[in-house]
Amino acid sequence: MNLTAELDRRAWVVQVMGLPVSVHLRGPRVRTDPVAERVERVFAELREIDAVFSTYRPESVLGRLGGRRPDPATAEPLVREVVELCELARLRTDGWFDADRLPLPTGGTGFDPSGLVKGWAVERAARWLADLPDHDLCLNAGGDVLLWTAPGRPAWRVGVENPGRPERLLDVLERERGAVATSGTSRRGAHIVDPHAGRPAEAVRSVTVVGPDLLWADVYATAAVARGADALDWLATLDGYAGLLVDAAGRLRATPNWPGTRPAAQTRAG
Amino acid sequence: MQVRITVSGGKITDVTALQVPDGNRRDQEINDYAVPILRQQALAAQSAQIDTVSGATVTSDGYRESLQSAIDAAHLK
Repeated sequence: MNLTAELDRRAWVVQVMGLPVSVHLRGPRVRTDPVAERVERVFAELREIDAVFSTYRPESVLGRLGGRRPDPATAEPLVREVVELCELARLRTDGWFDADRLPLPTGGTGFDPSGLVKGWAVERAARWLADLPDHDLCLNAGGDVLLWTAPGRPAWRVGVENPGRPERLLDVLERERGAVATSGTSRRGAHIVDPHAGRPAEAVRSVTVVGPDLLWADVYATAAVARGADALDWLATLDGYAGLLVDAAGRLRATPNWPGTRPAAQTRAG
Repeated sequence: MQVRITVSGGKITDVTALQVPDGNRRDQEINDYAVPILRQQALAAQSAQIDTVSGATVTSDGYRESLQSAIDAAHLK
């Protein structure tokens, strides 16, 4: 029995936070107004969060601070939450994710939580769709994916892009719920900073992390790129998360619990 | 660049350049390069039956040439 063929599916795409964000829903009511309104709420919340956190907007809360870290004691609750999550991310990544010393769009270095805000914002905004029974979600925000399925539904199939050859896929993952996040240097060149050396990280082309939470999958993928080629050993220690790493020479390694078809043994990205 | 994505029964069957700007050699070169890649991407995605693509951050500018945009286009209506 092919359930997929019987399920209606619809996509919405909006540019927000400087990224394409696409929402795909499968289910019986994807063409109804109430469902479309929920999707609009998702995009509206992402815009609201961007208006607070964007470091590209001089009038945002972060923009006005010009690279200073907001004081958690006086910040509004959402800003405090992000500042505290950034500190937790620094601790959980042994300092390889560090929002405090990043190059700012306006020049110089300072506090920029953007690398964490994206995953956090998407998880938060997706709650508008959480209580639609019988509907499956596949949300892609600039290459980072959050998904879930109703009981008995087929898993979503997530292609992992080959950073050296975007026309090819490295792997295909079947996921019923959770997150798939990829960080790397392929699309925009080296833009992830090694916080210890203070310069762009270049030892790794891309890292894909699979796990329950988008925020953490994204943070761990970014930290792994900064960390370099030995990041895979660190990823293997993270409970509930798995990783696939492509180094600068195109060599491919995965953690033992990697759910795709790629073997844990080292192979080459074609 | 504008491309036409042909969708039949919810599946991408072809990708072709709809509007190839003329009089600009650089544009032409980009099209000659990008359209075959996009077509290959879209059809590869179709054969792999993938629903989405995880990759290093696609900016809004890069989106139109991405595999994800082809997948999205097949389900927008």
